[in-house]
Amino acid sequence: MADRIRKAILIVLGLLWLMPVYLIIANAAKTDDEYGSTSAWKPAGISGLMDNIANAWDRGGLGEGVASTGLYSIVAPVIAVLIGAGVGFAIVALKLRRGFLWFVLIFSATVFPLQMILMPLFIGYVEFGLYDSRVGMILVYTVISVPFAAFVMRNFFTGVAHQVFEAAVVDGASTWRIFWRIYLPMSTSALVAIFILQATLIWNDLLLGLTLTQSSETRPVMTALAALQSTYGGSTMPTVLAGGLLVSLPTVVLFLLAQRAFTRGLSLGQF
Amino acid sequence: MTAPAVQNNPRDTYRWSSRAFVLPGLLIVAVMLYLPFVWTSYLSFTEYDGLGDPELVGLDKYQAMFTDAGFLVSLRNTLLWVLGTLVFPVGIGLLVAVLADGIKGSFWYRLPFLLPYAISGVAVGVIWTFILQTGGALDEALTFLNVPGDRPRWLLDAPLNTFVMIIASTWQAAGVNALLFGIGLQSIPKEPIEAARMDGASGWTLFRTMTWPMLAPLTTVVVGLSIVGSLKQFDIIWAMTQGGPGTSSETLALTMYKETFVNNDYGLGAAVAVFLTVVTVAASIMYLRRQLSDKKEI
Repeated sequence: MADRIRKAILIVLGLLWLMPVYLIIANAAKTDDEYGSTSAWKPAGISGLMDNIANAWDRGGLGEGVASTGLYSIVAPVIAVLIGAGVGFAIVALKLRRGFLWFVLIFSATVFPLQMILMPLFIGYVEFGLYDSRVGMILVYTVISVPFAAFVMRNFFTGVAHQVFEAAVVDGASTWRIFWRIYLPMSTSALVAIFILQATLIWNDLLLGLTLTQSSETRPVMTALAALQSTYGGSTMPTVLAGGLLVSLPTVVLFLLAQRAFTRGLSLGQF
Repeated sequence: MTAPAVQNNPRDTYRWSSRAFVLPGLLIVAVMLYLPFVWTSYLSFTEYDGLGDPELVGLDKYQAMFTDAGFLVSLRNTLLWVLGTLVFPVGIGLLVAVLADGIKGSFWYRLPFLLPYAISGVAVGVIWTFILQTGGALDEALTFLNVPGDRPRWLLDAPLNTFVMIIASTWQAAGVNALLFGIGLQSIPKEPIEAARMDGASGWTLFRTMTWPMLAPLTTVVVGLSIVGSLKQFDIIWAMTQGGPGTSSETLALTMYKETFVNNDYGLGAAVAVFLTVVTVAASIMYLRRQLSDKKEI
């Protein structure tokens, strides 16, 4: 009986939560005429959807943004998880001197807001020719992903018995080999969890793209969407909504497919 | 504390390889996060427009900051964000977690709340701008429900615009708090709760006297994360109002960006960044102590 009330409240609240999702889908699918003449709440078929998406993709520049960000959000987290795993391996398996201190130092870099580093990054990037370049964006996304990766991998390796390492040493394996052939394969679940969370984070980034890129070839997708949204008169509302829908699909689908890895990554990161 | 120096101490055997493994991470974090950090701190004591050389001016920029009307508005809005985040995303997250705890199929009941978490701040801003625009979906709904009176200008009037953006951020963030609280509720030992139930406690009393105190360590983490998240919030505000009209909905995160990259006052931007960092770090300490300690109960 009490359960039934709880379920009822959850369903009502849940439907309320899904309203914005319904509104964006319904209105992203309208032609400009339909959008102008019908209520926002009333669906009008899907005749406008493809045109709106094509508009956002081509004229709104989201196509180029998707290509750039696709590259950034795959390459940067891969490099970051490897670097982070190296840090965890050095501290836990190789018992790095003052390892905890270095660990705290690396992890603490996530505490302060990006605002604290934006300006020097901008100046330095201009100075070294990294401004508005894909290499520069991959580099900065890698850097901001490393602390979290190191944090999770250090915690993960702490749970691995040190005998595993010692046995491999007895077998004559080098540390490099132990890292690649034993520790990395063993931690696939943690590596995947970090990858998914960081890829999502990078896909969704606005601020670094806003600060460190300029041209449409290097600009990340969310920065492109923000520009599309703010150009008054340039794009109609259905086009902007279709753009918003389009760029949200990859992370939402990834989230639904990898929901467990997501949750796992979250709890690994927060506890 | 230190282990006796024996021949086979792994610390000595792997001294160099351990350094080699930690070096890439340490190096890029030092060069690209800590060096800029120090640089920004330095620039906050200078007059600098990005051209020529920074000129040391002592505390002038901080003084200018605290006497600037725009900054005070920004400070007030930031405070609104922090308070609003504690009431809405944290409060609703807890409510959803408590309601869904232990019922069959709780994952499905929680899913609608979790879904927006995978959507970017910019896309959330796009959706809510559409909902809140004049004559938009919300206004239409209010008219349909026969709510009398003039419709407020949701995104144009301060501090209403900050308030509605907090709602947009709630839509995005409540689900993840529900998830975290859900994990916490599952890990609470069932016996004391059952015992209290036997003694006749139920509903609100049971929650207040038993569940809530046991949930406290996790609540600290969720509250800490939420406060820090609200201090760092940039994307939703940028996508919805860009801090406007004027500077009426700016928070510190936006003020720093605008002073630096729009007004080219690097010194003032740096001072705002330092101030924001001090506040953020202070808020972080409450949950970080727990994250970095090896003792973890939940």
